[in-house]
Amino acid sequence: MSKVFSRWLPCVTLGTWSAILLYFVGTGRIASFLHPSFRPGVLLAGCFMLLLAAMFAFVPRVTSCCEAESCGHPLGRMTLGRVLTFLILLLPLGTAAMFSPTNFGAVTMRNRGVAMDASAMPGGASKQGREQAGAAEEYLAKTEDGNVKAAVIDLLYAAQDPSLRQDFENKTVELIGQFMPDNVSNASGNRFKLVRMFMTCCAADARPVAVLIEGDSKASGEEMSWIKVVGLVTFPVESGRPLAIVKARSVTQTDPPEETMLY
Amino acid sequence: MSWFTFRFPDFAFSFLSILFEGIPFLLLGSVISGVIDAFLPAEWLTRFLPKRSGIAIVLGALMGAIFPMCECGSVVVIRRFIRKGLPISCAVAYMLGAPIVSPIVALSTFAAFRGQSPLVMTSLRLIFGFCLAVMVGFLVRFIPYEKLLQRGVIESMPDRRRGLRFAAEGGEHEPPMVGERKFTQKCFAVVQAASSDFLDVAFFFVIGAALAATFNTAVNQQVILPLAASPMLSILSMMLLAFVLALCSSTDAFIAASFVAFPFAAKLAFLVFGPLFDVKLFFLYGLIFRRWFVFGLLVGLFVLVALVCDRIAVLGL
Repeated sequence: MSKVFSRWLPCVTLGTWSAILLYFVGTGRIASFLHPSFRPGVLLAGCFMLLLAAMFAFVPRVTSCCEAESCGHPLGRMTLGRVLTFLILLLPLGTAAMFSPTNFGAVTMRNRGVAMDASAMPGGASKQGREQAGAAEEYLAKTEDGNVKAAVIDLLYAAQDPSLRQDFENKTVELIGQFMPDNVSNASGNRFKLVRMFMTCCAADARPVAVLIEGDSKASGEEMSWIKVVGLVTFPVESGRPLAIVKARSVTQTDPPEETMLY
Repeated sequence: MSWFTFRFPDFAFSFLSILFEGIPFLLLGSVISGVIDAFLPAEWLTRFLPKRSGIAIVLGALMGAIFPMCECGSVVVIRRFIRKGLPISCAVAYMLGAPIVSPIVALSTFAAFRGQSPLVMTSLRLIFGFCLAVMVGFLVRFIPYEKLLQRGVIESMPDRRRGLRFAAEGGEHEPPMVGERKFTQKCFAVVQAASSDFLDVAFFFVIGAALAATFNTAVNQQVILPLAASPMLSILSMMLLAFVLALCSSTDAFIAASFVAFPFAAKLAFLVFGPLFDVKLFFLYGLIFRRWFVFGLLVGLFVLVALVCDRIAVLGL
């Protein structure tokens, strides 16, 4: 029986972990879970675990001592604890991998608090884009219709930076995000939030960021559905600070972008 | 809105992301541990370790600056070092110091706190973390190892009475002397040791990640915001947050910096306490140390970090 615990169960466990890691990397689903800089590590770990699994399978270990109480081999003896160990190593990961979506639902977004102000976002990363950017023409990509292709985070940062504000103000932008009703600054009922998740390292630390979208009629839509908004960028002062508000010209349903997270 | 709303899909998403982020580092720690096991003769430790234990502890706490290691990886590495015969006080100093006293942590903290006294925050974090690592290392010196370590770790250690040299001679379960084995045999030994260590530690990492993912997704984090107004409450709440979020020390500064409502001292408490002790470390430390020590470390570090940060808050930082 010790062979099962010292050879085959570790082999199956490492093989399963490796398969899950390589599957997420291979299918590109890893993009929703990790910042690009962490993804190569998952690929390497998946490959290395496959190697470890193969070694467990093909290079048998010396297990003659493993029945003894004093055996120091960590995976040697069959105990209830060992059974539990392998169950905990396999079941949660396997179940999570089978049922995990590639984005958070509205409840988690609300639990984390939707940031509509750049100062409430995780530090340095938000500033990188601006620091790398030169003149507005250089970094503001355009769509085929001539609209500025922007991300939610660009407008949040612009609201705090007068020079960036000039680059966006009164320009027509195209934004993609998820629909979320707004219950705070929406007295007329014609506003909603366009939300994206902003990731620092992994989805566990991602924070929802949003801009307000203002339409002509009462805002309605399926919560968390992906939409494309085309509209005019404004920065009115509300509650004593400039707030990014897009006056929508069109709101259409769209497919999720390839990278659902912002970095 | 309720303070707790559990949704399995969100939990699974967060749980997987923590595992995907942590597994490569855990594996790296396991491989380093395997390399130490197979290639590092125990007598090297006696040769290179300073004779005075005080200096050895200080050096242990500073080793992270040369060999940066995240908190998950350092636990695996020090377990192997203890088995090799490294004094426990030095190993503990490295284990606590490495996740904070590291160039990666310094750079990420400095970058995250741009515009929020980055130099002061980075310096205080590193100095405070280093001092705590040294302090715990010195305290551990006075505790008999039989009372400190788990039975399995003690059994795999060299005979303490005969010192480190005994380790090089090989115990009942020690492989033959590392110097006598062929390179390929050593490589096999690395892989075997790494896989065993990885599976051992991954078990606790999975449990810690599950708890952190539950808090990450199910608990309404807005409930802690009113605590920001009181200096002591803000410090305690940020430390609790660091404990349950279980973030990696190389990136936690970006999260801490985003809590703009919280004072400087509370963020410092988050950045110092988190890498020293969080929910996943609670389980990982239990792999090496006895439960009373793990609880004692938790309470001691919590109280000490809270008190020092409260003093820093009084100074007006």
